[in-house]
Amino acid sequence: MNDTDRLTIPIGPQHPALKEPIAFRLDVEGERVVESALRIGYVHRGLERIFQERNYVQNLHIVERVCGICSHAHTTAYCQAVEAILGVELPPRALYLRTLLCELERIHSHLLWLGVLAEHIGFTTIFMYTWRDREIALDVMEDLSGGRVAHGVNVIGGVRIDIDEEQIDSALARLGQLEELMDTFMDVIHHERTFEARTRDVGYLSPEQIHRYCVVGPVARASGVDVDLRRDAPYAAYDRVDFRVFTADEGDVWARTIVRARETVESVHICRQLLENLPDGERTTRVPRRVPSEEAVSRCEAPRGELLYYVRGDGSDRPARVKVRTPTLTTLITLPQQLQDINTADVPTVLAGVDLCIACADR
Amino acid sequence: MNALFSTLFAVVVFPGFGFLFLCALAFQWIDRKVIAQLQGRVGPPWYQPLADFIKLMVKEDLLPTSANPLICTFLPMVSLTAVLTAGLYVPVGDYTTNAFEGDLIVVLFLLSLPSLMYFLAGWLSVSVFSVVGGSRALLQYFAYEVPFLMALAGPAIISGSWSISYIVDYQSQTTWMVLIQPVGFLLAIVGLIGKLKRSPFDIPKAKSEIGAGPLTEFSGRKLALWHLSLHAKTVVGVFLLVDVFLGGSDGLAWWLTPPVFGAKALMILLILAVAGVLYARLRIDQLVSLGWRVLAPLALIQMLALIWMGV
Repeated sequence: MNDTDRLTIPIGPQHPALKEPIAFRLDVEGERVVESALRIGYVHRGLERIFQERNYVQNLHIVERVCGICSHAHTTAYCQAVEAILGVELPPRALYLRTLLCELERIHSHLLWLGVLAEHIGFTTIFMYTWRDREIALDVMEDLSGGRVAHGVNVIGGVRIDIDEEQIDSALARLGQLEELMDTFMDVIHHERTFEARTRDVGYLSPEQIHRYCVVGPVARASGVDVDLRRDAPYAAYDRVDFRVFTADEGDVWARTIVRARETVESVHICRQLLENLPDGERTTRVPRRVPSEEAVSRCEAPRGELLYYVRGDGSDRPARVKVRTPTLTTLITLPQQLQDINTADVPTVLAGVDLCIACADR
Repeated sequence: MNALFSTLFAVVVFPGFGFLFLCALAFQWIDRKVIAQLQGRVGPPWYQPLADFIKLMVKEDLLPTSANPLICTFLPMVSLTAVLTAGLYVPVGDYTTNAFEGDLIVVLFLLSLPSLMYFLAGWLSVSVFSVVGGSRALLQYFAYEVPFLMALAGPAIISGSWSISYIVDYQSQTTWMVLIQPVGFLLAIVGLIGKLKRSPFDIPKAKSEIGAGPLTEFSGRKLALWHLSLHAKTVVGVFLLVDVFLGGSDGLAWWLTPPVFGAKALMILLILAVAGVLYARLRIDQLVSLGWRVLAPLALIQMLALIWMGV
């Protein structure tokens, strides 16, 4: 095989299969990918430097905008780190509301992802259905916080919002509706043969590879690696609710789909428990503006996996350093492995399967 | 003089360009509207296909410098011409222009020309996406064309003629071909979906993989002609299946013909739309294996059964 039989297909930074700018160079022979190269950094905004020039409260707004999907997970991790340095205990109502938004965000993120995957394998109907049903989760979030994607719910020392009985009832009703609609997707994932044909055995990662690349979140769980911070290192109110962590053994895109779909349903259950057992009381505690020169690491389970924030104070009202490590970073480095020796038609499926969030990873 | 006028009328107005153009727009709208409704969307207003066509006609026409402008202009025209010519020989209602023995073969040949033009368009417009799309289009052509031809040969064998209008007459005296050979009808539908590159067989133009496939580099008037030829092909293909499998006009009274024929065409269009909604796009190797392992053997078995039954 000489070099002239090779074709180089550029995917990105602008391409229909990509929702955010990232670039792949695929060398293909016929329809087979023989080599792939990855280039990131198109949405680098220098946020970690910006964090050092703003005070803790201002940073909250920037942290919220690191990611366009898991914005609440980012503020949760950030607030937890700062609260850990300050040593403040949050009132239970604040923890419950914080957890509630985390789970609603997971529902919306997973449904969005399912739609993206469906579109990539040419299943437009499921794309339209998931994005229609995802509106329910967005509506609930808008009703609770006033924002569909950036909620501005977390503040250091508590939450900004409070909800009344009426809001709880309407949220419960809508979540019940969403749970019923999820049956359709479960049915499609299990029984639609064209869906299986496109996702089975695509993008396989073994448990050993998961460990070697430190992959987290649904991608790791789909390869049989049972990690979930919500259960392993409970934060917020996760130690006060019952939920199951789902894993699958196949390690392919189909397994990632089923894991995420089950998690979505489980998130609805968690939300229901939180709404029904919401304790009364304060929503915030008073915290000082200045943070002592100590450091803290905080982790939370974002929709894509473990999100880590490291914050170091220097006694002033500005952090000396904020370091973010997002789950996407770990899945990015598995991509050359997953793209090796597959059909070009499977490339978008693989890219969708790992659920990249480039804005998170680049910052 | 009169003969010349009627020929001109047939070519330009009915069932030629004018009629096919309007049908292409109408079918496209119905198709889009039905799919939108099934997917929980609103869908476009009725004039959207025409607006799209006009918009493309007035847009700037660009090509890569290394592509041959003459050939790239020529390809969509040949494609459209082939489809419109095929349209002249497919009976619409009870109306047939110059039917002759063997026009089914001519129509099938003319309908397969756009696929080859489509492949050449991809190959000659020198973009990675279009080259990959073009080679996929050719592979797909070999996967669906054989079962499609064999499925359409069934009615011809039964009626003992390769003339579409004779097959229609035969059905009005006996019964619809779809009742005699449902498998053949199914294969023809699947083949037609492949021929029209509709979802779930829209593999050569899978947008999440290779952009617009062979048409990636086309724009303006050339793209408008490409789209028109593909949509006109839908119309001709649907009419062909109505004639061959659903009894065409059924030899009914003249005032009953348009609604009956229209309803049948609409039914096939709905089948195509629903098939596009229900499935995920296949991969090219999956389609080829489906074509040769399932569709072609099925078509062959049916054909042998028909011959063996001596009908």
